[in-house]
Amino acid sequence: MTPLPDRLSLRPRRPFKSTAAWPLILALAAASALGAAPFANAAALTITFQGVKTPSGAVMLALVGSSEAYGGKAAPVAQSRLDVTGATATITFQDLKPGTYAVRAFHDLNGDGKLNTNPFGIPTEPYAFSNDAHGGMGPPTWEAAAFEIKDGDNRQTIDID
Amino acid sequence: MNRRLLLRQMSGLAIGALLTPEIAQAASQLAVGAAMGVDWGLAFADLDADVAPAPMRLVSGTAPAGLAGSLYRNGPGKFRRPGGSVGHWFDGDGLMRAFRIKGGEATLAARFIDTPKRRADIAASAVVTPGFGTRARSGVRVGTNDDTNAANISVMPILSGSGGSELWALWEAGSPTVMDAGDLSTKGMKTLRPDLAHMPFLAHPHREPNGDIWNLGVMGDKAVVWRLATDGALISADVIDLPTASYVHDFTATQRHLVVILQPLIQDTATLPYIDGFTWRPKEGTRILVIDKADLGSRRIYELPAFFAFHYGAAWAEPGGTIRFDACVSTDPSFATRGAREVLKGEWTPTPPPVLSLITLSPDGQAKMERTEVVAEFPRVDPQLAGWPRAHTIHATADGGGPLFHGLATHNWKTGASDSFNFGQAHMVEEAVYVPRLGARGELDGWLLAPSVNLAAKATELHVFDALHVANGPLCSWRAEVALPVSLHGALVVS
Repeated sequence: MTPLPDRLSLRPRRPFKSTAAWPLILALAAASALGAAPFANAAALTITFQGVKTPSGAVMLALVGSSEAYGGKAAPVAQSRLDVTGATATITFQDLKPGTYAVRAFHDLNGDGKLNTNPFGIPTEPYAFSNDAHGGMGPPTWEAAAFEIKDGDNRQTIDID
Repeated sequence: MNRRLLLRQMSGLAIGALLTPEIAQAASQLAVGAAMGVDWGLAFADLDADVAPAPMRLVSGTAPAGLAGSLYRNGPGKFRRPGGSVGHWFDGDGLMRAFRIKGGEATLAARFIDTPKRRADIAASAVVTPGFGTRARSGVRVGTNDDTNAANISVMPILSGSGGSELWALWEAGSPTVMDAGDLSTKGMKTLRPDLAHMPFLAHPHREPNGDIWNLGVMGDKAVVWRLATDGALISADVIDLPTASYVHDFTATQRHLVVILQPLIQDTATLPYIDGFTWRPKEGTRILVIDKADLGSRRIYELPAFFAFHYGAAWAEPGGTIRFDACVSTDPSFATRGAREVLKGEWTPTPPPVLSLITLSPDGQAKMERTEVVAEFPRVDPQLAGWPRAHTIHATADGGGPLFHGLATHNWKTGASDSFNFGQAHMVEEAVYVPRLGARGELDGWLLAPSVNLAAKATELHVFDALHVANGPLCSWRAEVALPVSLHGALVVS
C-alpha cells in the first residue's frame, strides 16, 4: 500500500528535487542529424518494435555503441524517428561496425519529439530498451541492454508499448 | 486536560476500551499465540480465487427496515506465491469485497483487482514486484510506479448519472483503478489527464458534503492537489511544495482548508522497499500544514511534538478560526515498519497502539493535542458533517491481545463518553462505515456497518449496529461461507 513514485527516478540521497533522470537518459537530441554514419562496414541491424497499442506518432530511437553513450555521455552511433502506423514498426541500419551495442527508444505518441513526463518526472509515454531489458527502478543497466552485432544481418525485436 | 478526559472516560460506557499503551502492551504480550485459543493468522491468510456472489446466513438479530445498499471494501487478499511472497501486509493484491443488503438479506462477493502487478506476479509464480515493504525479485518489470500498484487500500464509488456504477480502487502512490460496481470486473487504470498519468492519488480523498472531491498525491517533498467533481471529472491538479518529505497516508480538510499532517517519518532515499527509504526522526516533531483551498499558495504551518498516525477524522473550523480534527496517533511508526511485516509470518510483538486524540490549531499559531486513553483506528464520521462541527468519532477499538482490533466504538468529544462493544479475541473487527437513517435527525441517527473475521467460526461476518447504541451489540449479524482476509477501508452506496 504505498507510495512509490520516486522509486523510479535515479535521485540523489537528499534533498528531493522534482527533476527525474528519465528525460536526460532517454530524450533524443532533436537537433542531431538523423541516420547512420556512412561507414563501409559489413554489418546490418534490423530492429522491429512490436506490441504497439496506439498506432500513431513515432518511435524515437537511439543506437549506442558504448556504455558512455548509453548513459548520455557520448554521442549515439545512430538516431532515428520511425513513423508508427500499425502494430509493428521496423527499421534497418546498414554499414555498422561489428561490436557491442544497445538501443533505447520511446513511443512519441503526440509527436512532440520529447519523452513526456508527468510533473513528478515519471514517463507518460511508452519506452523500451534492447533485449527487452527492464530496470527495477529506472532504466536497465548497460549490461542488461547490450547485445552483439556481428558481420551480416542482425535482428532485435523489442516490445514498445 | 488528559486527566480530565480520562476521568470522563472512566465514567463512560466503555471501561473495556480504556487502555494505556503500557496496559495494552502488557495484555498483548500475555495473550499472544495459543493462549488466545484462536488463530488470528486467518485474518492474514491468502484468498486464492474470486468469490462468486453468495447469500450470507443471518446468525443473530433482524436486519433493520430501511437498510439497503452495497458496502464495498478493499484490502490486500493474496500474499504468498510458490517462488516468493510479499514482505508486508500492505503489499498483498487488492481484493474488492461487495456486501449487498436488500430486503433484510445480505450477499457477499469478492474479486481481485486485475492490476499489472498481480498479472506479473501470477506469471512468475512468485511475488516479483516490489512494494511498500517487499523487495523486487528476479524477473521484475517496472516501467512506472503503476506497475507496482497493488490497488489495495480503499475504494471510492463514483456516482454517475444513474448512481454508483463505477468504483475506483485506490492505492496511494499511483493511479486509481476503475472497476465495474456490478460485477467487480477491472476496467483499467484511470488517467485523469494524459500529462498526469501515473501521478500518485492517496487512498483517502475528502468529499465535501454535496460538493467536490479533494485529494493529494505525495512524492518526496512535493504533492499534487487533486480537485474532482462528484462524477470523477478533473477540475484541477496543482503541484505544491511540502516542508518535509514525510510519509503521508491521509490528510484532512475543513470547508475552506486542506490540513496536511507532516510527521517525522521522513524519506531520505527513493528506494524499494519504499518504507526502507524512511527514517523516524522524532526530534523534528510533527508539522501541520494548513492550506487555503481557494489559494493553494496561502498556507500556515503549526508544530506539535512528534507522533505517527495513519488516519484522521474530518476537520472543522469554528467561527473564531480555530481548526479541530481527530487523529489516531501512535508514539512511533513501528506497526508500519515492523508489525505489519510480522503478522504475515504469524508473529506479533506488540507495537504502540493508536490512541484517539484531538488536535486543535488556534488562530494565534498555537497547536495542541489532547490524547484520550482510547485505543482507536479507522476513524469515520457522518459524511454529511465532513468539514462541519461535530461531536462524534466512529472508530475500531481493541482491548489488548494480538494485532488489529476487536471492537467498535463511538466517542463523544463533548462529554468524553465512549459507547463501545467488544467482540472479544475471536473476532478481528474491521472499519465501520456509517449509514444515516432516511430522514436522520442528527449525528449518529443511523447504523454502523462493520465486518469481522470470526476466527472461531472461520468465516467473514457483517454486523449492523445502531450508531446511537453501540454498547447494545449488533442489531443483526450475517455470516458468509468463507473467511476473507481482513480488509482496510470501505464505502457504502445506498440503494
